[in-house]
Amino acid sequence: MDQAQFIGEHLLPGKLGHFFAITAFVTALFSAISYWRSAQTEATDARSSRTWLLFGRNSFVIHSAAIAGIFIALFYIISNHLFEYHYAWRHSDLSLSPKYLLSCFWEGQEGSFLLWCIWHCVLGLIVMFTAKGLESRTMAIISLVQVALASMLVGLYFGPEFKVGSTPFILLRDQMQDAPIFQQPNYLSMIKDGNGLNVLLQNYWMVIHPPVLFLGFSATLIPFAYTIAALWKGDYQQWLKPTIIWSLFAGASLGTGIMMGGAWAYESLTFGGYWAWDPVENASLVPWLILIAALHTLIVFKATGRSLIITLILMILMYLFIWYSTFLTRTGVLGDTSVHAFTGEGKSIYWHLLLIIGVLVVLSAGFLIRRWKSLPRVKTEEAINTREFWIFIGSFILLLSAIQIIITTSIPVWSPLAKAITGKDVAPPADVVQHYNSIQVWVAIIICLLSATVLYMRFKTTDNKVLFKRLGITAAIALVLSLIIGFAQKISTPQYAILLFSCVYTIVAMIYYAITVQKVKLKKLGASTAHLGFGLTILGILLSSYNKEVMSINTLGMYMDFGLKTKNENIRESIENVLLYKNVPVVMGEYTATFLGDSTSDTDPRVFFKVQYTRQDTVTKEVKESFVLYPNAFANPKGQEAGSMSANPSSKHYLTRDIFTYVTKAYDPKKKVEDTSQFKSHTVKEGDTIYINKGYMIFEGLDGDVKDPRYIPQNGDVAVTAKLKVYDLKGVVDSLRPVYYIRDNYAYQVTDTFSEQHLMARLENIVPEKQSVEIKVKQSDPDDDYIVLKALIFPYINVLWLGIIVMVFGFFISMWNRITKKEKEPKKNFNGEYTFTK
Amino acid sequence: MKRTHIVLLVLVAAAVCIIVSMFGDFSTYETFASAAKEPGKQYHVIGYLEKDKALDYDPVKDPNHFSFYVKDKAGNVSKVVFNGAKPTDIEKSEQIVMTGYMEEGHFRCNKIQMKCPSKYKNDQVVIGNAS
Repeated sequence: MDQAQFIGEHLLPGKLGHFFAITAFVTALFSAISYWRSAQTEATDARSSRTWLLFGRNSFVIHSAAIAGIFIALFYIISNHLFEYHYAWRHSDLSLSPKYLLSCFWEGQEGSFLLWCIWHCVLGLIVMFTAKGLESRTMAIISLVQVALASMLVGLYFGPEFKVGSTPFILLRDQMQDAPIFQQPNYLSMIKDGNGLNVLLQNYWMVIHPPVLFLGFSATLIPFAYTIAALWKGDYQQWLKPTIIWSLFAGASLGTGIMMGGAWAYESLTFGGYWAWDPVENASLVPWLILIAALHTLIVFKATGRSLIITLILMILMYLFIWYSTFLTRTGVLGDTSVHAFTGEGKSIYWHLLLIIGVLVVLSAGFLIRRWKSLPRVKTEEAINTREFWIFIGSFILLLSAIQIIITTSIPVWSPLAKAITGKDVAPPADVVQHYNSIQVWVAIIICLLSATVLYMRFKTTDNKVLFKRLGITAAIALVLSLIIGFAQKISTPQYAILLFSCVYTIVAMIYYAITVQKVKLKKLGASTAHLGFGLTILGILLSSYNKEVMSINTLGMYMDFGLKTKNENIRESIENVLLYKNVPVVMGEYTATFLGDSTSDTDPRVFFKVQYTRQDTVTKEVKESFVLYPNAFANPKGQEAGSMSANPSSKHYLTRDIFTYVTKAYDPKKKVEDTSQFKSHTVKEGDTIYINKGYMIFEGLDGDVKDPRYIPQNGDVAVTAKLKVYDLKGVVDSLRPVYYIRDNYAYQVTDTFSEQHLMARLENIVPEKQSVEIKVKQSDPDDDYIVLKALIFPYINVLWLGIIVMVFGFFISMWNRITKKEKEPKKNFNGEYTFTK
Repeated sequence: MKRTHIVLLVLVAAAVCIIVSMFGDFSTYETFASAAKEPGKQYHVIGYLEKDKALDYDPVKDPNHFSFYVKDKAGNVSKVVFNGAKPTDIEKSEQIVMTGYMEEGHFRCNKIQMKCPSKYKNDQVVIGNAS
């Protein structure tokens, strides 16, 4: 191909981009080595250490600039629709609206890694200026991880089988070398448009969810880097403050990112909820849980000097699981078990990621083992009535919960091994949600009870009398409240009733604590706010999923006998989808749903189905409420998926509940052939009946009085209309007056229509000798227009969203408090003894 | 031994029990024939759509009943009944993973996962939970 010249290609941005990628890789490597040298020479040769430090800083700044360069080059390619580049061709098209241009970045794997890199650079620069004595070591770790990420983007090929990373700047003709079109110099003129962005990503949640989630992913690197730096230096004082702050930041951003994913799923996916225990969701939840555990033990260590070892281990595990989750989601190893669409990049990324994880494991374990003997330990035992004891228990339970989730999620990873040993081909549980819920509900109960109780305790010593008095009051209020909620919401399953009490207990306790103990000083309220948010989140999850109600139960009386034991089981088994004919109201719970039709536009590939919901008073029939929902379906216009439909839900939000609907099956109005039905001829006499769908017409005779505006009388015309009365099952609904006239010896007809029933009638002919007329009737089958709809009610889902917001707010209050708090000078020689701090 | 260590041991023991017990929850990949040995028990079956045979979905009659034929990895063909709307594009699927159980000569499934050939190599669609 080297001899061929191609017309119209823009090769410069790609070459620049690739150059930036290589630069980014090299400078990250150089930065890591410089910082490492700086750390190593720190004690022996201060001047050389300083020089290396400056080298490291400059390299990292150049590295950041190069990463920015990659981003700009790729953005230029996508926004200018340079389809000679595979990335632009595959992830965008001409019709893509500008607000989704950035979404193209995270549809592809290279773009996601790039986004991750960008956040690392931003955070790394902040660390560079704030880390002080730990800078060289922390930045060495950050740069090392940047080497790993940049290596994902270099795209160096060593022979046809072996490549390192994949560059986003590969040309379409290089990616698809075998296609004959690329033999032609003017191939570009034949590529009119790109493949387009996955329709599911064309959603506002998908514009903000990936950047926030990747910010969370990136933020977890910082506490990890500080932890390794602390081990490296053997100093466990200096790292405390920045690590707590960065852990809070990571917890807030990763938590927000995860739940934004939930909100996206709720708004635009049809799995009917915000959380499905999908492997991809689990993969980011697990590091978050471990991070939260680590944050708590870290605070214990700061206050009491205990729990250092578990903190170090948790921090390391947390970051390893970040990479493990990348491994799970990027290599396609999850295979059959996940909803999410993956780009399986084949074997190269599989080994690439395993290598990175391997390096991280060796590095962390190496430092930990080297320092193991010298780690400060507190010899005495902690008392049972102290914060440190119970926080330790709580953190350990979070870790166990994470382990349970990761074992089930990793089934596809370890099942080949299990097959080799036991011969069984292990699959995920048949009911995944039930599986996780039945175990994790107990974790939630314990964590709720602990988080409320622990805050009433103090580090090192607690006054039992005060403690029990406060606990007693809280428990009493919580019991009353949860009984009220429990009865109102009919929560009867024992474990969920206990969960209800636990989360109400947390909520009550946090409010009580904030008011009576902390006297509502906002700066101090971080912990209680975050835990209040956690309690609300759990309450929201409980209420919205326990009483989640399928509204679209098929009430038409059509259900199949599935051979189950009871009739109820048979009914419930499947009839969650309801068939709605156009304009035929169907009762759904307290609502009446009517499918009114569809609307399409040429610029939007979506088809919106208009469904009207009305709620009437059962006695007076007075309409109390009426609204229209527009669940839509996407007809993919391009590529091999062309013509397939994917549905997006539409919801009606109330303060106390959501009505959530989506179309599970629909006709494609753009494909529907207009007027497939034919006119049918009826010869009738006066008073005769013509049967139509859902009713009949009576021919009441002819009338010489023609008032149809479409008929303009002329001299010499003979004109009559046929009087047709249309009846449905209840009575007269309309009358039709088709016109027949003779002008210049020719017969003409004006058809009259009754649009509600798709009815067209034409007075075709008059047969005076038989005293009859020929009336042609056409009625397009309204049964063509139907949708199959699923509707769910999520009660109190707003409690969940509120809980998340409150929790994240709590994280930020804590961060603010920690950043602004004046720290006492760290002791030079740590001897395992701490003065009491509150 | 410290008190913390005792509590840790207890927790670890409890966790081990829970994890061992959750192995009972895990399903296995089976064929129609092996799933038929225990009718009513939930399994995963991987197979391929028999495109020559009828796909029966008539929303007018019942919007929650879709039946089709699948050839499993052992090469046996069985009728499959799905209690839900017909998944879009099932005709184009390369491979189907079904969760369900055997019953009176057919496989009743409540979850279908499909692999479709598309611009992504491993694009997957899940059509979930009828029950």
